[in-house]
Amino acid sequence: MKNIRNFCIVAHIDHGKSTLADRLLETTETIASRDMTKQVLDDMELEQERGITIKLHAIQMKYKARDKQEYILNLIDTPGHVDFSYEVSRSLAACEGAILVVDATQGVEAQTISNLYLAIDAGLEIIPFINKIDLPSAKTMIDTVKHQVMDLVGCTEDEILMGSAKSGLGTDEVLEAIVKRISPPKDNPDAPLRALIFDSVFDEYRGAVAYVRVFDGTIKEKDQIKFFSTGKQFQAEDIGILEMQRQRTGALSAGDVGYIIANVKDVHDTKVGDTITSVDRPAAEPLPGYKEVKPMVFSGMYPSNSDDFAELRDALEKLKINDAALLFEPETSLALGFGFRCGFLGLLHMEIIRERLEREYNQALINTVPNVEYRVTKMNKEVLLVDNPAFMPTPGEIEKVEEPFIKAQIIAPPEYIGPIMKLCMDRRGVHKNTTYLSPERADIHYELPLAEIIFDFYDKLKSLSRGYASLDYDFLEYRESELVKLDILLNGEPVDALSTIVHRVKSYEWGRKLCSKLRELIPRQMFEVAIQAAIGSKVIARETISAMRKNVLAKCYGGDISRKRKLLEKQKEGKKRMKQVGRVEIPQEAFLAVLSMED
Amino acid sequence: MSSLYLHIPFCEHKCIYCDFYSIAPKENPEHDNALRERFLSSLKHEITMRSEEDRFHSSYETIFFGGGTPSLLSPSTIDEILNLLSRSFHIRTDAEVTLETNPGTVDLETLKAFRSAGVNRISMGIQSFHDDDLKFLSRIHSSLEAKECVRNAYEAGFENVSFDLIFALPSQTRERWEANLQQAMELHPTHISCYSLIVEPNTPLYRMVESKQVILLNTEDDAALYEYTIECLTSHGYEQYEVSNFAKPGFKSRHNSNYWNHSNYLGFGPSAHSYWNGLRWWNISNVVGYSERLEQRLLPVVGEERLTPQQLVEEEIFLGLRSEGINVAGFQSRHQRDVMNDHRSTFEALLDQQMMVFDGEKLRLTPKGYMVCDEICASLQ
Repeated sequence: MKNIRNFCIVAHIDHGKSTLADRLLETTETIASRDMTKQVLDDMELEQERGITIKLHAIQMKYKARDKQEYILNLIDTPGHVDFSYEVSRSLAACEGAILVVDATQGVEAQTISNLYLAIDAGLEIIPFINKIDLPSAKTMIDTVKHQVMDLVGCTEDEILMGSAKSGLGTDEVLEAIVKRISPPKDNPDAPLRALIFDSVFDEYRGAVAYVRVFDGTIKEKDQIKFFSTGKQFQAEDIGILEMQRQRTGALSAGDVGYIIANVKDVHDTKVGDTITSVDRPAAEPLPGYKEVKPMVFSGMYPSNSDDFAELRDALEKLKINDAALLFEPETSLALGFGFRCGFLGLLHMEIIRERLEREYNQALINTVPNVEYRVTKMNKEVLLVDNPAFMPTPGEIEKVEEPFIKAQIIAPPEYIGPIMKLCMDRRGVHKNTTYLSPERADIHYELPLAEIIFDFYDKLKSLSRGYASLDYDFLEYRESELVKLDILLNGEPVDALSTIVHRVKSYEWGRKLCSKLRELIPRQMFEVAIQAAIGSKVIARETISAMRKNVLAKCYGGDISRKRKLLEKQKEGKKRMKQVGRVEIPQEAFLAVLSMED
Repeated sequence: MSSLYLHIPFCEHKCIYCDFYSIAPKENPEHDNALRERFLSSLKHEITMRSEEDRFHSSYETIFFGGGTPSLLSPSTIDEILNLLSRSFHIRTDAEVTLETNPGTVDLETLKAFRSAGVNRISMGIQSFHDDDLKFLSRIHSSLEAKECVRNAYEAGFENVSFDLIFALPSQTRERWEANLQQAMELHPTHISCYSLIVEPNTPLYRMVESKQVILLNTEDDAALYEYTIECLTSHGYEQYEVSNFAKPGFKSRHNSNYWNHSNYLGFGPSAHSYWNGLRWWNISNVVGYSERLEQRLLPVVGEERLTPQQLVEEEIFLGLRSEGINVAGFQSRHQRDVMNDHRSTFEALLDQQMMVFDGEKLRLTPKGYMVCDEICASLQ
């Protein structure tokens, strides 16, 4: 055990985490360099395209150190986006140390800080690594960045490693530091079994595969095991370590990182953060830190063609096995029929799920406007959690509505403080304080309603700061707000899937913009279409789509009939992709109109 | 009742907007003549071959010479073809025999000879009475020639003369189109077809639009002109019996109506389509290829489709809605389906909006309905 090192790499997005991981794998000859696809850890197509790590992975490396001993290094990868902070925290909990990668040209960013704090909270040894020092623009920045890191981590200058993950400069020093500075696992092989699930994937043939870090005891194949959160029991069938592929070893002991296959068929039984123990000699307590992941953003997902409901459910089930944070339950919309209300960690998480459903499962989807979960206290003191605006009680029944607030940390050059504060004010933010990490980096703290940042806040922040501002946020608390439900009516009929919940002060403007956006998005129809926005029975905005004037092909003689029929068949296909509410055909993008509203 | 169509694939000049199959003369007149002779003998072959098939022994009530420019053929050629058709098929004595005629290709004598050969209906490609429009459309005739040709047709004894007109030309004003309709009606045709300018792929016009050399009329103005057309012609005694077709009482084109009734028709010549009891086929769109096949005693068919029951229903609905409506009882007996019931909510909305009327027998579109006919057809799922 003294030669095992379990570690992870944390960084702000694009600071070079995956590139460094690639170099470590290459240097330790875990993978031959000719087999390297760029950034091997991100093996999902989508991850490679977006250049972000969505799912965690783990890999074992063997490293012959300068002290002539061989070490087992388990690299546990972490997701790099703010939506996935719980998953990050579970990965960190499986480690004893973390390499903190900071881009020499960018310096400390919001996620550098948030991830670092998570790592410090988890009691990890931090090895700072300043990356990209070979870039020309690094020269002028490097001293500043060093000081930022020293302030942040509380280390000395000598403890900071520097190099270039791209060229491999400094990789050897990183490996040596892992061996020397990160302590070996202090786990107890004789205590009752406790293994932390830090990830799980679904294997079509083997069922759920749990990726674990064993803290106490030993687990062997044929052992009866138990999951703490559900109490369910299984027999361990296949146990091993994680190299480029799974390597069966038959057992894992305290300190090890590996996988367990136990014929777990139910997709919800291998939850990230849960503890596995043995049935014969169970541990008294699970490992700390497990929580049911709570989604923050909700949206309806409906099959474009209502016949595909069962298919969509199967696809969501399959995605959920890899994604403990995804929640979904069936719901019905008058406008859209049968579908699912899905809960996501954030907007990026939602986009990823949607894209995966479309690409990997070939689902044609209608996605409704995302919203947060509201806490509604009714006059009769009953408290409801409302995750779908359509289910908001009528104004007369409501005593108060509370919405989730977050604390946001924005790091940006001081010249952008003005525009950032204006943006936050527009979004109903409460300024807490602004400090300076260095003269060039302001650290701005705000409290904001989550609902105000889930749409385009991040994009706006990025564009007004020319990409320099970074954002991190955390749930704070529920707070009472003056919120109203805004309904959209088409030709007098309310379209439940277009209802939104907005702050009263913003409701008129919101209603006006939404109506005008819908006017753009809904094509002309055979009949005139009236679009109205209403709060309760009061109409606050109106637009009209005038009836289509002409749509008829002039000629249809003997030679034209087949062609004409095929044309009509194609048009009918196009119409099938639209949703019909009353007599109005609504294109799918209209259900996300709010997202494309201009300020 | 069945129909015969003959496609004559020759023009003096290809107009910029036309995508019908035809060829214009090359430099060598001898070669062109030879090609024409070869085509005519192949056409006769095809007629003979088809007449030998028992399934086409039917009673034919219309013959239509289309193209191309069939009026480029000599009256004696038309006479020969008509004679051959009479010998080969049972043609009713009261058959409608139409010849598409372009002004500038015929004189009085020729028209007289066509009449004697048995042609009894002239469909004249006038398109516009404004010379600058004709120039834009690259027609070979002038407005004056068109009027003279019409007068000659009457003098030659034709009582049934139809005009083709095109509207929605680039930057066309209401006044200019109004003048066109006015001049047309002053010549008292029995039938008028008014087509909104369509830009077909693979035409010079298409490329001119693509390269922004030509800016098309916007939909709004196009719609207004179309609306006006319907209003103007119907108020002058022309009944609208199809999206683009208007006729004085008793002068609807029986040939075209047969297309829209899903009646049987045989087409001869390159690119001609045929339809017979749910089967549709079409000939090669190349005059040399056409002749080569027939010279080897092969039919020049290059494609066919057997309509599924569902496709039959769909075609019957859209053809009916484009023209004189769907006969509900007839539809029921042909397809064992209640068309009203199949599309109740859409039809009720259309009836409610006065886009459709039901006279107890037929469901048919009103002028307001014709305006958005394709949208209506596409929304019938």
